[in-house]
Amino acid sequence: MKLGTKLTLFNTISKLVIVVLFVLLLPVLIRDINRNYTDNWLRRQQDKVLRQVHTQGIQTFIKNGEGYGSYNALLKEEYVSLDIDSANDQIDTILNERRLVEGDTIQYRILSRNFKVGNQNYLLEIGRSIDTINETTTPLQNIAFEILLGMVLLTILADQVYSTYILRPLGRIIRTKLIGQKFPMRTPYRKVHTSTSDFEYLDISIHKMIQTIESTFQKEREFISNASHELMTPISILQSKIENMFGREDITDDVKERLLEMQRILNRLKSITKTLLLISQIENEQFLKEDKVNIAELLGEVYDEISIRLQQKNIQCNINVPPDLELPNANKFLLFNLFFNLINNAIKYNHENGEITINGSAEDKLYTVVITDTGIGISPEQLPHIFNRFKKFTKSLQQDSFGLGLPIVKSIADFHNIRIEVQSEPGKGSTFKLFFPTEPVKKK
Amino acid sequence: MNVLIVEDEKALTTEMELFLSGNSYLCEVCYNGATASEKIATNLYDFILIDLGLPDYDGLDLLKEAKKYNPEAACIILTARAEVDDRIKGLDLGADDYLPKPFSLLELQSRMQAITRRKFGLKNSVVPLGEFNIDLTNRAILYRETVVSAITKKEFDLVAYMLLHKNRTLTRSQLSEHIWGSVVNDDYDSNYIDAHIKNIRKKLNVYASPDWLETVRGLGYRVNVNN
Repeated sequence: MKLGTKLTLFNTISKLVIVVLFVLLLPVLIRDINRNYTDNWLRRQQDKVLRQVHTQGIQTFIKNGEGYGSYNALLKEEYVSLDIDSANDQIDTILNERRLVEGDTIQYRILSRNFKVGNQNYLLEIGRSIDTINETTTPLQNIAFEILLGMVLLTILADQVYSTYILRPLGRIIRTKLIGQKFPMRTPYRKVHTSTSDFEYLDISIHKMIQTIESTFQKEREFISNASHELMTPISILQSKIENMFGREDITDDVKERLLEMQRILNRLKSITKTLLLISQIENEQFLKEDKVNIAELLGEVYDEISIRLQQKNIQCNINVPPDLELPNANKFLLFNLFFNLINNAIKYNHENGEITINGSAEDKLYTVVITDTGIGISPEQLPHIFNRFKKFTKSLQQDSFGLGLPIVKSIADFHNIRIEVQSEPGKGSTFKLFFPTEPVKKK
Repeated sequence: MNVLIVEDEKALTTEMELFLSGNSYLCEVCYNGATASEKIATNLYDFILIDLGLPDYDGLDLLKEAKKYNPEAACIILTARAEVDDRIKGLDLGADDYLPKPFSLLELQSRMQAITRRKFGLKNSVVPLGEFNIDLTNRAILYRETVVSAITKKEFDLVAYMLLHKNRTLTRSQLSEHIWGSVVNDDYDSNYIDAHIKNIRKKLNVYASPDWLETVRGLGYRVNVNN
């Protein structure tokens, strides 16, 4: 689940819990508030009555021992009664009690208080019907509930907006720093703008990690480059020595054959070293991309170079590439080697009398070249590893490769931002699809 | 022809000297830039072979000096540091060729020969070979006055290379290196040379027997010229 969703979900749930709790508590709270309010009101009424009794005298209310009583005639919401109290004990209470008023039993909240005037005890009762008290409860409850709900929705919305805003740098860090990163990185470090220090920390940490990876890559490339350079001179010396010895007349054919063997092995060493050097030079971006390359012409040159190999296995090679399209910003030498190696593989892993088809097409501004062979194919387990250096899976029909052909292809393709897709079915053949990043230009 | 070899790797200079002397070049050897600089300023050479990776001198500076004091000399840069821009810089500074290490001595001689032909205008660039004539300037094989048009560029390259190193057995690796040297691929032992030779023989046989092209059993091929 996304962090943003989680935060929103948590916020919503926690707020809902609070709302539910509050709604559950609301009746109790409101009842309490009402009761306090009513009690205060009753006390005020009581004080008023007592003041009147004091100023006007008790006789005004009680004549000939008859109690005073007053209530709202119709609805019996409130009543006041003043009477002679027979009991002697002190009463001052507020209680819910039932009273019978004109034949109706009504639940009242009743303040009862007795007091003395002269030697006589009097009892004062002031009541308010419970129904009246509760009348306000429901609307109050509703208003409170509505306001609360509105506020909760508002905060959830605000939370949502804010969390989206605050989490945006995280998405940006992942998008720009982590997804689809290729090494060596060609773009310089660009800080992701954020006011959240945690994200800043993350950004800086990722950047540090990238630097470490970069420098490791750099070291590896430098090592390969230096190692292959250092090997060049000794190989050169050995090669010259063998050549000079081979040219001598006074050695036997037997020695010559052994020299030949040495030369073959030295050649193998030389090829490996040169290839590694080439790969490291490509990876160190030591090549320019300033050529305009006509793919059809280039394939023609590769064909000339490679035709002897086609002839030897009697392989038919069909090239259908638009003749008038040029690719800008390319390196001809490298592209030549890319196609040479791909076609060479298509020959090497092909059967006698097999076929190779090379189709080029420029559709929707996308230039693709598809090389299909009828060879032995690549098994699905091997397919993800074919571009790895020194990996040899299928023993070729003549065992004379050292597994750097496709790594060269990959390096050159990466250098030109060419995407390669490989499809293969063992026994049926393989298809290498090259997607060129640049739109070809029509040759004038 | 006078050749100055500037190379700090003694084992390599020994072989270069041996080989070039055997092909009638007069060689002088310098193991460092300082001596080379002196020699360039005082003597005249036809060829100056400069290693870019000298311990005491920037090979490119030496190239500049050579161009100044020995403007007629052909300069070939030899280097193990096959940096791409070194090559461009070297050729910009007037080097006539650029040979990255490890190079074959046969290739070195072939390059020198090509420069000689280009630069010093070798008069007789049509060489008779059996009943054929090899036109090195126009890169064609002629039978009497007719061009053998079936011969491809690669096939001509092979014949010309063997002709240059006549009476010497060239191995398949040496021939491969010459014609496929610039291609980087992962084959190290190919027998495509045999196919090429077969084609050359077939194409020439239409006119006359190319009996000068000999297969040296187990070793390679050679072009025999008796004179």
